[in-house]
Amino acid sequence: MIINHPLLGPRDAAEFVYLGDASLIDRPDPNADDAAEAFYEYGYLRDNPAGEHQELWYHEQGDRSWLVVTRNTVTHEITKVEIAREIAKSRGRSR
Amino acid sequence: MVEYTLQLEPFLGGYAQQFEHVSLNEVDTMALISLALPNGQDGTAVVQALEASDVPNVGASCPCLNGSGTLMRMAQDQFLLCVEDVANSFEMNKDLEQKLAGIAYTTDQTHVWVALDIGGPATLTALERICPVDLDISAFDIGAVARTSMEHLGVIITRITETNFRLFSASSSAGSFLHALETSIENITT
Amino acid sequence: MTEQSNRLAHGGLINRDKRLSFKFNGTGFKGYEGDTLASALLANGKGFVGRSFKYHRPRGIFSAGPEEPNALVQLRSGAHQEPNTRATVAELFDGLWASSQNHIGSLEFDLMSVTDLAAPFLSAGFYYKTFMWPKAFWEKVYEPLIRRSAGLGQLSMKDDPDTYDKGFLHCDLLIIGAGPAGLAAALTAGRSGARVIIADEDFVMGGRLNAETYGINGMEGHLWAQNAVAELAAMDNVRLMSRTTVYGAYDHGVFGALERKTDHLAQSNGKPRQILWRIYSKRSLLTAGATERPIAFPNNDRPGVMLAGAVRSYVNRYAVAPGHKVSVFTNNDDGWRTASDLQKQGVEVVAVIDVRNAPAPVSLNGVETIHGAHIVDTAGRKGLKSIKLSNGKTIATDCLAVAGGWNPNVHLTCHQRGKPEWREDILAFVPGGTLPAGMQVAGAASGTLTLKAGLQDAAQSAETILNDLGMAVKKSESFEAEDEAHSATSFWHVKTTGKRAWVDLQNDVTTKDIKLSYQEGFRSVEHLKRYSTLGMATDQGKTSNIAGLAILAECSGKTIPETGTTIFRPPYTPVPIGALAGRARGKDFRPYRLTPSHKWAEANGATFVETGNWLRAQWFARKGEKGWRDSVDREVQMTRASVGICDVTTLGKIDIQGKDAAEFLNHVYTNAFLKLPVGKTRYGLMLREDGIAYDDGTTARLGENHFVMTTTTANAVLVFRRLEFARQCLWPDLDVHLISTTDGWAQFAVAGPNSRALLQKVVDAPFDLSSEAFPFMACAELTVCGGTPARLFRISFSGELAYQIAVPSKYGNAMMGVLMQAGEEFGAIPYGTEALGVMRIEKGHAAGNELNGQTTAANLGLGGFVSAKKDCIGKTLSQRPEMNPEDDIRLVGFKPVNTQDALLAGSHFITKGERENMANDQGWMSSVAYSPSLGHSIGLGFIKNGQSRMGEIVKVVNPARGVNVEAEIVSPHFYDPEGGLQRG
Repeated sequence: MIINHPLLGPRDAAEFVYLGDASLIDRPDPNADDAAEAFYEYGYLRDNPAGEHQELWYHEQGDRSWLVVTRNTVTHEITKVEIAREIAKSRGRSR
Repeated sequence: MVEYTLQLEPFLGGYAQQFEHVSLNEVDTMALISLALPNGQDGTAVVQALEASDVPNVGASCPCLNGSGTLMRMAQDQFLLCVEDVANSFEMNKDLEQKLAGIAYTTDQTHVWVALDIGGPATLTALERICPVDLDISAFDIGAVARTSMEHLGVIITRITETNFRLFSASSSAGSFLHALETSIENITT
Repeated sequence: MTEQSNRLAHGGLINRDKRLSFKFNGTGFKGYEGDTLASALLANGKGFVGRSFKYHRPRGIFSAGPEEPNALVQLRSGAHQEPNTRATVAELFDGLWASSQNHIGSLEFDLMSVTDLAAPFLSAGFYYKTFMWPKAFWEKVYEPLIRRSAGLGQLSMKDDPDTYDKGFLHCDLLIIGAGPAGLAAALTAGRSGARVIIADEDFVMGGRLNAETYGINGMEGHLWAQNAVAELAAMDNVRLMSRTTVYGAYDHGVFGALERKTDHLAQSNGKPRQILWRIYSKRSLLTAGATERPIAFPNNDRPGVMLAGAVRSYVNRYAVAPGHKVSVFTNNDDGWRTASDLQKQGVEVVAVIDVRNAPAPVSLNGVETIHGAHIVDTAGRKGLKSIKLSNGKTIATDCLAVAGGWNPNVHLTCHQRGKPEWREDILAFVPGGTLPAGMQVAGAASGTLTLKAGLQDAAQSAETILNDLGMAVKKSESFEAEDEAHSATSFWHVKTTGKRAWVDLQNDVTTKDIKLSYQEGFRSVEHLKRYSTLGMATDQGKTSNIAGLAILAECSGKTIPETGTTIFRPPYTPVPIGALAGRARGKDFRPYRLTPSHKWAEANGATFVETGNWLRAQWFARKGEKGWRDSVDREVQMTRASVGICDVTTLGKIDIQGKDAAEFLNHVYTNAFLKLPVGKTRYGLMLREDGIAYDDGTTARLGENHFVMTTTTANAVLVFRRLEFARQCLWPDLDVHLISTTDGWAQFAVAGPNSRALLQKVVDAPFDLSSEAFPFMACAELTVCGGTPARLFRISFSGELAYQIAVPSKYGNAMMGVLMQAGEEFGAIPYGTEALGVMRIEKGHAAGNELNGQTTAANLGLGGFVSAKKDCIGKTLSQRPEMNPEDDIRLVGFKPVNTQDALLAGSHFITKGERENMANDQGWMSSVAYSPSLGHSIGLGFIKNGQSRMGEIVKVVNPARGVNVEAEIVSPHFYDPEGGLQRG
C-alpha cells in the first residue's frame, strides 16, 4: 500500500502504524453528565463499513505526523490523506 | 578535583571501508540539535536567527550559520541542525536555547544518532536493496532529506552529491545498521 | 546414441561454440549455451522425464515455458537441491545436475506405477471417500501412507546454503513481459524519457519472437528484439530485468518480482541467489502474452504429446526436433503454423488433423491433412508411437503437437479481484472488471492475439500512459508486421467413454473426474478445484483451467462465461521461501540494540538476555560461581551491602518541552504534574483509555517548560506514539513538543549505601550530593569527570540509597569503567537485569508482570495515584463499577510458610480448606524471586481483597507443574517497608 502523505508525497505504508477509526479523535468531554456512556461508546463501538472509511495512521518511520486517511475498505483505494492535527482542530479540539 | 576523565568513543570506532565501487565511512564530527517550533511559528524566525536563506520544506534542507551548518526540516514543527562540532554539542545546545528562546525548543540529539557516509558509483545500486524511498535524482535532489526505515531500523537519509548520501540511524543499533549497509554493498554484482 | 542426436544442423538461438555438460539421473549429456534443461534433454532424445503425481504414468516435456505441468525435476544436489524445478525454464549451465521425481526405483521402472492399475478407484475425491473408515486407521495407516506417496519433489532437509536479498525499485512505467508488445511499449516510453522497468521471466528477451518465424520492420523477429533490447539497454531511464518474474500485483501500483541472479550459474560465489523486488510503479503495462492450451483426448498424456507452440519453440529457438515423425492436432489456424515451420527446418511432419471441416490455411507438401476428425486413442508406453483417429485410421508418429488455442495471460489483472471476461470471437478469457490501480494490458495478454495488432496496441497503450503521466510522446518509427491467421473453433475435448483423457496433467485430473465432481454436487468452479484438485499445485492450472471449466460448463449446460474462472492469486509462479525470508535468517532475523556499556560488559563476563531488541547484561558471573543464582544472589547482597551499578539506558526517555508541557503531562498521567518543582522527579502512572494500567516511570522537571519522561523499556516506542497522538489529535492547541532521547544518554543506576560516596568521586565541584542539597527524588544537570555534561536523578528502584546518572552515550562505555574504578574501594559490583528484578520484587515495585494489560491502578495498590481533581486518559472508564468490584484483586506479597518452599510465578491462589479448582480461584502469582536479603522465596501476586487479608495462609497451586505450597499474605514491600534507606 502507498499513502500519499500531504507533505512528503507517496510513501510505503510500511513506514506507518495503523490505529483505527478516525473517530478516536473525538474524545468525549469527561465533565459531561453522560461521560461514562460517551467514553464507553468512544472506547468500544466502531462502525465497520464496507466502503469509505476514515482512519488514523501514524508516520512513525517518517515525520511523526498522525494522518487521517480516507480508504475504501473494499478496494483499498485511498481518496484523501489529511493531517490529523488539522482535522482535530477543525472538529473543535483545542487544549 | 575529580581524578577521572571521559573520552568520546565513536559508536562504530571510526569505521572506514573502501569497497569495490562504494565507500562507507562513519561520520563522528557532527553535533545534532533538534529545534521544535512553538505553536504558531512557521520557522521564519529560526531561519533568520541561524542565517539560513529560506525556510526549507519538510523533506528538504539548506545551509545555515554561514555555511558551517545544515538545517534539515524533519517535520512541520521540527528541524534538525547539523554542525561540525561534536565535542561541544552540549554547550551549543545551551547557547541555542538562549539564542532561540521563544522561537524554538532545542534538544541535543548528537548522541542519539550514528552517522555514515556512503558514496561512489555503485551507491544507488547498494541502497536500492534496503531503502524504500525513491532516490532517483529526479525525485530526491541534492539536499533532500527523508526519514524512513531500512532493515527494520529508522533512518534519516540525505543526499550530499549525486552519488553521496549521509545516513543517520539510532546509535544503540549502530552495529546492526552497519551490518545492513555492508551486506547491501557486498550483495551487489557490478 | 550419438550426442545431441535430435539437434538440427542449423538455426536456433543457441551458441554452438559453447558446449555444456550436464547430468540427468546420473547419465552425462551435452547441450549448448542458450538451452534450457528441457531443450537439452530433447536434443539428446530424452523425452520421458518424469512420472505423474497420482498414477505414476510416464510423462514427457509438454511445454517450453513456465506453464509446464510435467517436466518437474530436482535440480542440483546436496543442500543446494531444489525440488519441482520446471525443466522448461531451467537455464542450462556447465555441470548442471538434475534428477527426475516422483518414482520409487528408477524412472523407467517405477514401483509406484501399479497405482495406474488401481486408477478406477482413484477418482475425484478419492481421499475424502476412502480414508474415512475405520477411524482408528487414520493416524497409524492412512496418514503415513498418504504422506509417503504425496507431494512432488523432495527437500534436502538441510539448511539452505544460498543467500537471498530484497530490494526496492521505482518507475513511471513497469512493463511486464518483454515480448513484441512489451518491447514496442518500452521503446515508445523509453524514447520519450519515462523511467521504465521492463521485466521478463526468460533469460532472453523477445518472448514468442524467439520461438516464431515472424518479421518486424523487415527484420527477423528475434533480431528485431535483439536490436530493441540493445537500444533500451543504452537508455539511462530504462532498466531491463531478464530472469525476473513479476509474480504479484498489489495495492496502489506495487508489484512483487523475483529476479534469479545466479540460478543459471554453477556457483553463486557468495552473492544472493535470488532477489525479491518490491517495484513501485506509477503505471504498469501487462504484456505477458498468451499461453497455449491443449485438447483433452484419450491417453493424451504420453511423452511426445506436446503443445504445438512448444514444438515450434524447440525447433525455431533451440534447433531441436522433438520427434522424427511429427503430427499436429489442432482446432485452429495457428496449429498449422507448427507444420509449416517444422517443414522449413527439415523436420518430417506426417499428418495434420484439424477438427474443423475447413480448407487448410497453409499448403503443405507431403503431409497428410485430415479435416473434421479427431484423435480417439494413442499408443506407446514410455513414448508416443501412434495415434488413432476417429476415421479409424492409425498414424505412426513419435511427437504430436496439440494446438487448442491461446489463453491471454490475465493472471496479474486478477490479483486485485479483477474478473476476466469471455470473448467468444477468440474463444478466450481476456482481462475484465477492475484492474489493479494504474494497470493497462496490451498485446496477446489483452486478447490481441496477432503480431501487427499487438505491436500497435502496445505502442498506443504506452502513448496513452505517457499522456496520462503528463509526459510528451516522442514520435518514432512505427512497428510494421503481418497479422497471422488465427481463426479457431471451440473444441475442448474428445468425448470418451472408457479411456481416460487428461485435463490437468500435473494433478492427474481427467475429463471423467470433472464430470464425476459435477455429478457429486461440486458445481461451482471453485468447489471443482478443491474437490478434484484441478488447477492446483505448482503450475496452478496454466494449461488446464480453461478446458476444465469448459467441460464443467458442458456438464451444467451453462456457457463458459456463466461458469466463470477460479480466482488467480499471487504468486504467478512459485516463489521460494528463502527469497521471501531474504536476509531475515538466524541472527539477522532482526536488528539488535546494544547498551552503551555493552563492550565493558562483554569484557567483564556478562551473560546477555534479549529484552525486545535490546541485549542487556543479565548477570556477571565470577569464578567459582556454580550457576546463575550464585551470581545474582551475590550481586543483590553486595549492592545492598555497599554499592552496585547497572546500565538502565534501555528505559525510554522522552524530552518534553513547551509552554503547556506540564498541562500535557496532567492529561496523560493519572497523577498531577502542574506543581512539580523544577529540579524534582515524580513517579507517574499512565492508563489506557479503557481504564487499565498501561505504563509507569519517573518524570523529571529540568525547567519550567522542560521535562524528561522515562518509560518502561518494553513500552518506550508505544508510549511515544500515544503521546504524539494525544498531542496532535486530542489536545492540538497545547504548546508541547516531544523527541526521543533514549539512545542519547547512557544511564546507570548506582545503588547501595555507598552510592553517594562513589558518586562524590565522579561529580565535578561544587555539586553537593548531601541529602539536604540533593534529597530523594531530586534531579539536576551537572558535569562529571572534569566537564562532561551529565544528568543526575535521585531515584531508587532497589529501595537503597540510589541515583541514576546519565552521560551522553558516546561517553557511556568509558563512564561504566570510571564508575567501577571509583567504586573499587567500596567493592562496587556491576549487576544485571536478574538482580535488578530481585531487588524490585523485594521492594514490591510493580513491573511488566504486574502491568500486564489486565490490572487497574487500584489492583496495583496505586489507586491513590489517580487524581480526583483532574481528568486524564483512562480516568472515566477506570471508574466503571465493573472495574471496581467489592472483591477486587489487589497486589500483595507472599511468603512461603515453609521457607524451604519455592514459589512459582503463574501459580493460582486457593483459600485454605477449599478445593483446587477454577471456581475457587482467588488470583495469581505474578512475580517470584529468591530473596537473598530474606533468605527465602518471595512472591508478588494479585488476590481478591488482598489488602484486608494480611497474615492469612493460602494455598499456592500450579497443577501443571505439580506445585502446591502454603504461603502467608504479607505486605508487598518485603525490604525496608518504611523507605528509610532510599531517603537516607
